[in-house]
Order: sequence, then structure tokens, then C-alpha cells
Amino acid sequence: MRKCYPYLLIAPAIGLISLVSLYPTLYSLYLSLHRIRRGSMEWVGLQNYSTILTSASFWQSLQHTLVFGVCFVSITLVCAYGLALMFNQKLALNGLYMTIIFVPWMLSDIVSGVMFRWLFLPRTGVGHRVLEVLLGISNLPSTPAGAMSIVIGATVWQATAFAMLLLLAGLQMVPREIYEAALIDGATRWQSFWHITWALVRPTTMITTLFLSIQAINTIGMFLAITEGGPGRATEVLSLHMYREVMTFFNFGSAAALSVILFVLNAVLATIYIRTLRAETA
Amino acid sequence: MKHVQLIDRHIPFRAARKPPGRRQRWRWEALAMNIVLFSVCLLVLFPVFYTIITSLRPPRLGLSRAFIPDTWSFDHYIRLLSTPRFPRYILNSVINSLGGALVTTVVSALAGYACARYTFSGRSLFLIFIMGMLLLPGLTNLIPLYKLASDLGLLDSYLIMIAIYSAYGVPFGIWVMKSFIERIPRELQEAAAVDGASPLQIMGYIVLPLARPGLVAVFLFNFVYNWNDFLTALIMLSSTAMKTATVGLFDFQNQLTGNENELLAAACVIIMLPGLVVFLIARKTFMRAMLEGAVKG
Repeated sequence: MRKCYPYLLIAPAIGLISLVSLYPTLYSLYLSLHRIRRGSMEWVGLQNYSTILTSASFWQSLQHTLVFGVCFVSITLVCAYGLALMFNQKLALNGLYMTIIFVPWMLSDIVSGVMFRWLFLPRTGVGHRVLEVLLGISNLPSTPAGAMSIVIGATVWQATAFAMLLLLAGLQMVPREIYEAALIDGATRWQSFWHITWALVRPTTMITTLFLSIQAINTIGMFLAITEGGPGRATEVLSLHMYREVMTFFNFGSAAALSVILFVLNAVLATIYIRTLRAETA
Repeated sequence: MKHVQLIDRHIPFRAARKPPGRRQRWRWEALAMNIVLFSVCLLVLFPVFYTIITSLRPPRLGLSRAFIPDTWSFDHYIRLLSTPRFPRYILNSVINSLGGALVTTVVSALAGYACARYTFSGRSLFLIFIMGMLLLPGLTNLIPLYKLASDLGLLDSYLIMIAIYSAYGVPFGIWVMKSFIERIPRELQEAAAVDGASPLQIMGYIVLPLARPGLVAVFLFNFVYNWNDFLTALIMLSSTAMKTATVGLFDFQNQLTGNENELLAAACVIIMLPGLVVFLIARKTFMRAMLEGAVKG
């Protein structure tokens, strides 16, 4: 009886996760091998995958995901790093600043999306007017690069706070004595940043990067809220492509295949993440 | 020895000349950092302020470009809440979020307790599994879930939303509960065990009450997460009777022609309120819980 007690305690969790996360993942593998039309299912083997891998729209959406991901992750990292370094100096108003910077993180994708869409609405948007006056850019949402950069801006705005918190936790684990020792040895500030801070916080930076990358390939809410894939298909990322296959074209087989591909991408990143974390804490 | 002498000679020299200069520099740096952080905060808050101000603009102001209007009005909120749909959307959001958060809290308290207090075979496998689930977002299984729900006739129901929300929250909940419970001294429960308390009594009367901050954090976090969810609701819900506030906002945005921004802004403000309020109340617990979820291996 005592022995099965812990298993009874974790049973509800396992049941719930299996039902809603594990089983559907396997089921999507099964669905991806079928053609599904009006309730009838027909085994087609790997045909869905070959159709996807030879279609231009898949490669295009993958490319959009990559562009978005690289921009989003790098800009967020730089912003988060800068903020974390400043927060690490323990200024008097840190608590207030921290609270404010976390505000975007507490908002729904759709709320943030609506707000950013407004800011850059032609004619009425404040952000739009600012850009027009400062840089002479006047049709941001209607150009492919402009639409993408609005979404990148919105996601950076939302994700920076959490990345900053991760990095700050890493920074605070570096013992102060090391900096003092370096100062005595006559190290310049740049030297002590590069040889101490950067070197010791590198595992945390790696983890933050992976965390943001996972977030990047799964971003869909912001795209739905701000661009809906437009103009044309210029901001149709992989996740949105999958969503459209189901919600617009009712093409379950190929959407399931896309979600398997997306799952594999996620799983690879997650595995590296867990490995890094284990290596760091061990 | 030589080294020590070198430092000895070095330090008085520094101590005599450096302090005033260093302190001065430090003060300028602190000022500069405060200015930078203050501007960042303004920039971060700007969209939110803009939305709040827009929502309070009196109606029929015409095309006045004044950024801050002279008079304020709550007309848009009243109009929004007297539409037939919006209050219903809010109610649906509340039911789904509360249901999901409650189930998540109970399930993850039990499993978190098991992981913190028992050594059983398969424990580390279970923890890796949970970690994996924590990282894999719900996006990839939404397609099969949609198919399953539609085959079972569960689309547009509270049941499917609560089931999905509960499961999504569990991995994070287990992680937070585990680390909260691990910090409670074992002596307390050992004392209770000596007094003849059963494992169930120990968990229910001693450990879980002490882990209440963790329970509250898991509950509040999941409530806000569910409330803010947009994608799951968008896929699973299509009838006006069952839609949640976030989906309502999405529809609303697509229907508008652009002249009713104030109404849309009011909806945004109402939807962002729970998240902001909860965060302001439980800021510390929140941040600690988030770090637990992301970096404890």
C-alpha cells in the first residue's frame, strides 16, 4: 500500500497529460498518414509529407519562421541583456521598473496584437505618425518587411521581461568576490565583463536563447492578431500555415503532417534545452 | 609573498586617490541608468496608456486629434457591457479559466507532493517527462485535439476547454509545487508521523497548508494564463454562446471598419485587467514561480 501511494498521487497528472497532450500527439502522427475528406479516412502513407515538402508555400512559411525567429530571438536577447545588466546594479527603483517591464508579459496575445495594430494604422496610428516624421516611412503595415517588423516589435515587447529575468538570475549567481579580485588585478570593465560575466553567464544565455527559440517557432497569436499572414502571404509563418490548412481549407491530413514537423522542431530544441540545463546543474 | 607585497603597495595608493573619483563616476552611472530604465518603462507602457486613454475618450469627439481629451467618459464601457454578447463572453472566460485553474491546482499539488516527498522508481523519468511537457507548447496538438473534439461532439463546450486548460497548466504546476514543498522542513511531517498521522493526513493537514503560497501562485498563474488564452479558444469555439472574451475581441477587430476604436479599446482594457491586477498583487510569488518553472533542473 505504501509503495503505490506516490503512483496514486501522480496518476491524475499522468492521466490528464496523456489525454490532452500525449495521445493527440500520437494521433496527429496517425492522421498525417491519411487523407481526410468529409469524415472518410483513407490511408495514403507518406503522401502528405511529400506534398508538403514539395510545395512552395511550406518552404516559404519555413523561411518566414526563420526570419522571424532570428530577428525576434536576437533583438530580445540584446534588450534583455542590457536590462539585466542594469537591474543587476541594484538601483533604488528596481522594483518599480521591474513591475512595469513585466506588464506586457501579463497581457493576452490578442490584446497586445490589437494595440500594436492600432499604433501602426496608416493615418491614425501614433507609432505610424512618429515613423513618418522621423524616418519618412509611410506604409509600414502594407509592406512585407514592415508587417513582419511590427509583429517582431510586438513579440519583443512581450518577451523581453521574462528573458531578462532568466538572465538576471544567472547574473546574480556570479559571486561579487570575483569582480573585486579582477578589479584588484587591474582588469578594465570590458575585461571583467567579457572574462567574468559573459563566461559565467553563458549557460544561462544558452538556455534563454533556446527558450526564446521555442517560443519563436510557436508564435501564432500575434500573427493572427496583427497581420493574419498578410500582406498576401508575406507573414505566413509555419504555425499560421498549419492553422490555415485546418481552419480555412479543412485539410486535416496535411495539417497533421505539418504539426508533426513542428513537433519535431520543438522536440529537438527541447532536448537541447534539457541537456544544457542538466549539464549546468550537475 | 611577492604578490602580497605588490597588493599592499597597490591598495593604499588606490585608496588615497580613487574614492572621490569612483564615487562620482558611480553616481553619474546610476543617474544614466535610471534615465535609460525610466525611458524604457515609458516606452513599454505607452501602448497600454494609449489604449486606456482611447477607451475613455468621449464619443462623438469627431476627428479631434488631441491626444489627451479634455473630458473623460465611461460611455464605451457601458455600451460594451450592454451589448448582448460581450457579458456572455466574459462569463465564458471566467468559467473556463476558473475551472481549468482549479483542476490544475489540485492535480499538480498531488503530483508535486509525490515528487517532493517520495522516492519511487520512475520518479526521475516522470520529472523529465514533465520537463519536456513544460517546454512543448500546446500548438502542435491543437489540430488532433480539434479533430478528436469534433468527432466526440465536444467542440463548443466548457468541458473541452476546462480539460485542455487543466492539462496545459499541470507540468508548470507540478514544478512549482515540488519546489515549494521541498522547502518545507521534513521534521514537521516526521513528528506528525510519530504521533500516528496517516500519509493522507500529513499531506492534507501539514504539508499542503504550509505550501499555500505555492498553491495560490499556481492557481492565479493558471487563471491568468487561461483567461489570456486566445488560440485554443479560437480553434475550439465557434458559437456566440460559448466564445470567450479574447475570441470576441478577435472577431470584433475583424468586423470593425475603423470608426469604433474606442469600443475596441474598452474591450482591451477589460480583458487586460485580471492579468494586471493578479500580477500586482502577487508579483514576488509570480516571478519566483516563473523562475522555478524555467531553470530548475
